[in-house]
Amino acid sequence: MRSCYRPLLFVTLLLGMLVIVSTTQATVDDALSFAYEAALPYSKQYAIRKDSWGGDLGIKQRKAIEAQLFKGNDYRFFMASDIKGAIIEVHLYDSNGKLAELESSHKSYEKKHFTMASVHIIPKATGTYYAIVKVVKSPEERTPWALVYGYKDSK
Amino acid sequence: MKTLFLTTQSLRSFSLLMLGALSCSFSGVLLATPPLIKKTAPFQKVTSSSQVAAKPDKTATSTSVEEVPASVNLSDFPAASVEDVVVPVPSEIFTVLDKLGNPNWKAQLNLHKTLIPSDRPHIALLLGCVIAEGFIAVEAEDTERVKELGQDVLKLADAINVRKSVISRSKSITDKADHRDWHGVRVEFDGALQDVRSAMDEMNDEDLAQLVSLGGWLRGTNALTSIVSAHYTSDGAELLHQPELVHYFIRCINGMSSHLKQNSLVIAVDTVLKQIAPMIDEKKQPLNHKKVQDIQDKTHQLVLKITTFS
Repeated sequence: MRSCYRPLLFVTLLLGMLVIVSTTQATVDDALSFAYEAALPYSKQYAIRKDSWGGDLGIKQRKAIEAQLFKGNDYRFFMASDIKGAIIEVHLYDSNGKLAELESSHKSYEKKHFTMASVHIIPKATGTYYAIVKVVKSPEERTPWALVYGYKDSK
Repeated sequence: MKTLFLTTQSLRSFSLLMLGALSCSFSGVLLATPPLIKKTAPFQKVTSSSQVAAKPDKTATSTSVEEVPASVNLSDFPAASVEDVVVPVPSEIFTVLDKLGNPNWKAQLNLHKTLIPSDRPHIALLLGCVIAEGFIAVEAEDTERVKELGQDVLKLADAINVRKSVISRSKSITDKADHRDWHGVRVEFDGALQDVRSAMDEMNDEDLAQLVSLGGWLRGTNALTSIVSAHYTSDGAELLHQPELVHYFIRCINGMSSHLKQNSLVIAVDTVLKQIAPMIDEKKQPLNHKKVQDIQDKTHQLVLKITTFS
């Protein structure tokens, strides 16, 4: 009798997991859409890359993202999350771990239900830089996020 | 890489959920993650910008500015908490190259007729090379060559089953080249590269997508070293400072299937990458003229192998 329930239990468990996994994926997708939306006002000046980074982070958790930046270009990174009430941030450091950004900001859009952060850099040298993304505050245990960037000639 | 993050993320979430289901300690596993950054220096206040609203939105609120560490200890980051570098698209580099005076781009053009190789890794590498060649033809303002290369992109994409993704790009390249809209052509070549890669990712051909990027990077680096070598300046040589990118490519090849790793061209690419990695790794000083020439020779031989099957 007990063995009859095992396959059923396994299938139920598996379906439950698939639902949760697809939900996680959906929210990262949403975060990505919002990251592109945050970049939209800059899309005439900056070429916004299709490539992106993303995932989910716990509160106060950070992640480093490597980026090859070239002196002579001007870059803007846009991070977003669809979790209402979350505060996220992104900052840029050079390969020595020194803060290298010109300015950064973070904002929440209550009407559109998303929160975003951005950072601007005109690299002083060509090389590897690190975008450090962080969830400062969030009502959720895990906060989905996505990051995109754009570049233009620094003139 | 990054186009794959959703899948990777899902797999990670799935694994964590499996762990949680088995041990009932899912949140414990997550909360056990140690802090990732060690704050090693005094804090510095960073200006908050107020011009980031996507559209005028009266409900947009700027949260208070947090203290931002003036430096971080990057060695404190565990490997798992560092996302790989994204490969720059050619126009990111060519925008900077525009500032290096007025190099003889026509002399950089590779005028070989593009043949279609029989094996997919070779096609992928060649496709990357041809797209980068497109950028060189744009710099040389050679309308006919740009149009030929636009057609070659289509043929190679067809040979690798991603033709659909670049049909409109190929047409736009021709149209914009006819109008000498060089900026527009660059955008289309960049777009073609990204579209081909996305199409390959969707077909679970991530390794081939990486080879397309690698082919583009190799041809671009070959042209860049040739230009810098012809009129050496430290500013020009600084553009070659791409250490993490080279290591990333080496890691990519290392992670490829054994079938791909045994491909003679992939082996040749891996060998060259490992030879130039220590040169590009040099910190704080631009590469000297001799090293630039050395990288030029190595990438030139490799690009010849890819483009002429020699």
